[in-house]
Amino acid sequence: MTITKKKKTNLTNSNDYKSFDKINGRHPFKSACPKSFVDYPARLRPGGKLAFFNFGLAREMGMIDKNHPDELNPALENKILETFGILIINEYDEMNKIEFPKDQIKPYKYMATRYLQLQHPNKKGLTSGDGRSVWNGFYKKRPKTWDLSSSGTGATKLSPATAIQNKFFKSGDETISYGCGYSEIDEGLSTLFFSEVFQQNKIATERVLAVIEYSKGISINVRAHNNLLRPSHMFRPLKQDDLESLENVVEYYIQRQKENGDWKGVPKTRKARFEYFLKKQIEVFAKLSADLEDHYIFCWLDWDGDNILMDGSIIDYGSVRQFGLFHHEYRYDDVQRYSTSILEQKQKAKYIVQTFAQIVDFLSHKKRRSLHDFSSHECLNKFDEIFEQKKKKNLVYKMGFEKEDQEFLLKECPILIEAFQKPFSYFEMAKSKKGLEQVADGINCSAIYCVRDILRELPQLLLSRGEFLEKSDFLEIIQSDYITQEDQGPNSYRDGMIRSFQQAYQDLVESVCCHTKKDLNKVLLEISMRSSVINKYDRVTGDSITTIVDQVLNARPKPKPEEIYRLMQEFVRYQNLDPDVRPEKGPIVIKQKNKKLFQGFLKIVREYREGL
Amino acid sequence: MKLVLYGGGAGEDNHELDAAAIKLAGKAYPQMTYIPSASFGGEIDFKDFVGNFASFEMTKFIYFPVDMPFDKTLADEAFKSDIIHLGGGNTYYFLYYLRKHKLISRLRNFVKEGGVLTGLSAGAILMTPVIETAGFPSFDCDKNEENITNLRGLNLVKFEFFPHYRSSHRYDKELIRYSKRCNVPLFACSDGAGLVVEGDCFKSIGKTVLFSKGQKIPFSF
Repeated sequence: MTITKKKKTNLTNSNDYKSFDKINGRHPFKSACPKSFVDYPARLRPGGKLAFFNFGLAREMGMIDKNHPDELNPALENKILETFGILIINEYDEMNKIEFPKDQIKPYKYMATRYLQLQHPNKKGLTSGDGRSVWNGFYKKRPKTWDLSSSGTGATKLSPATAIQNKFFKSGDETISYGCGYSEIDEGLSTLFFSEVFQQNKIATERVLAVIEYSKGISINVRAHNNLLRPSHMFRPLKQDDLESLENVVEYYIQRQKENGDWKGVPKTRKARFEYFLKKQIEVFAKLSADLEDHYIFCWLDWDGDNILMDGSIIDYGSVRQFGLFHHEYRYDDVQRYSTSILEQKQKAKYIVQTFAQIVDFLSHKKRRSLHDFSSHECLNKFDEIFEQKKKKNLVYKMGFEKEDQEFLLKECPILIEAFQKPFSYFEMAKSKKGLEQVADGINCSAIYCVRDILRELPQLLLSRGEFLEKSDFLEIIQSDYITQEDQGPNSYRDGMIRSFQQAYQDLVESVCCHTKKDLNKVLLEISMRSSVINKYDRVTGDSITTIVDQVLNARPKPKPEEIYRLMQEFVRYQNLDPDVRPEKGPIVIKQKNKKLFQGFLKIVREYREGL
Repeated sequence: MKLVLYGGGAGEDNHELDAAAIKLAGKAYPQMTYIPSASFGGEIDFKDFVGNFASFEMTKFIYFPVDMPFDKTLADEAFKSDIIHLGGGNTYYFLYYLRKHKLISRLRNFVKEGGVLTGLSAGAILMTPVIETAGFPSFDCDKNEENITNLRGLNLVKFEFFPHYRSSHRYDKELIRYSKRCNVPLFACSDGAGLVVEGDCFKSIGKTVLFSKGQKIPFSF
């Protein structure tokens, strides 16, 4: 995120925010994919108050002037509430003939899109999709088009509750939770803090444009992204054997990627275009799976292709976590079942890719073959190849090598990287002898080593000592707070791994020295500077974000939207893990009253840094 | 005792002081430990710090933030360096964490055993008997957000230090007023200026002003 001082301009007239009027429910997806959504009339929802507005994102989208100050004014606030503070008029309202004042009804309808969701009893996606959100529309300003959708805009018929109970619900019905169509403010702010940190650190994600608060912690959370389609949007017509709808969605997706400049050189012929599509999706999901593992991000990928966007961006932060250590045995307890684990995400991603192969075959031959027929498809080998390469790339990046050195190692020294992967993975995967335990929202067998700590400190210590660390020193650095006495007992295999780790590490460093003709110390120094940023001691975890959001919501007096924006900006700056980015110093000004709150954030991140 | 107190500034501004610190270490390529005043942004400051010494071809640096838990291995290594540098920032915050992690006596011992201790701005103030100069002038002072009441510093020198000094009426007014109640001399250094202490001797580099008993005295030694 770029932090710039904005010139103060006097924007107080609603005409200055006319651009918001383009966001009115209309969306090109509707004409392109007529069978893939349910349209709802909507009305203004009274009682809303703006809790947060993302000035930076709005500027990036072109919705506000690039010189707009990071301050609200009545005209802007009203415009945001008018545009996004809506509630759909749903089947329940219509069946019960509930009437709403005409002047409160929005001129256009808003769509809830249909997509596959595993929590629905119907596994073909006949009943599933946006259960509590609608798409507000799109915003086009060269070079990008953005999709906007809002969560908490009322109960649609695509929610699991309607499918399971076979009835329509009144929006806000307190007898059910997820099916009531409402969202909560803590969800919106958690998504905000998490997604902005990810965005800065080049992890693709949905973003939060605004949060509108209603009574009892209810909110509308407005999300924005360049293309909000999920794999599940395609999997639904696929499962239903609906070739026409499937082709519509695929073509729509390709077109948007092309228009946004995300895909270049898209072939013109139908067959070649679909092949190109498959190639891109293999790449996206293979790299995504490697990144999720290496960043310790758990986002509950599953066969339905929900919880992730087509371009690999993270969406629906309700189930997203970032672990401090590689807690690869963690599973979320979703009452009826446990979630996948972080390591199983790769298989799920591969399964999604297999389904893309099935889609392309279906589109090409107009006959749907069984998914099983694609279990040996070449796309899966390609997936593995890209995955393995990305894992290697991520590892040499995390070690702290400069870009050119990473490229050299990947090209010329894959065997040396593999030699380092083995002991690295040993320590990363090592888990406590205590075994599986119940945690707040699931089960976990704790990881016991923090490889980020050793990657941060090892180059400095090698530089200083000029020799390998004693095993006791190595273990002192790498062991986490989760380690037990029993885990620390004598272990000759582990001792061998300590030696292998350092030897393989040194071999890689020496290869770079040899190639670049640089002095060993110079290379180690460069690595230690980069590694201290990449493997920063304090990195957010899911638990820390939850706790931070609690603090924001419990702060009194309540921070204003602009104050939350500044807190978020400063937090994101603090969470920069990119050694090639130099976060600007100033001019974010956190008010004195919020400084304690911000300092609290830092303490929370530190306290939860090894957790879930 | 070998100390270098930097008045502030960055990069080339402090080249002469950097050279003095290396000379005090008595080695062509000494090892340095950089202790930032706060870990927030500390990695960036560390990178800049290393960059400052690039022209001296030094390569051995340790980054040692102290406002977070740290392991004994890194701490021991940090104190084995020839030079320890205390970075600039909020003096109260820095002191709070040095105390919290029991590093005050460790730093004193480091100096006692012949190590070179250098400090920039807040880092330099910390070397003095008290850190009161961090609290003024009112228009540009550190906020005592940690609510520290014990303002005693490392007490390595018998003077106080005021960094980022600018020769102006409003600075002088506050410094003169403070020097009236201060029992030891108060040296004020501009960015790029500083003091080099070796045993009982010390010299100033760059623009240094002495405030003592209500008097402002240009100082060059």
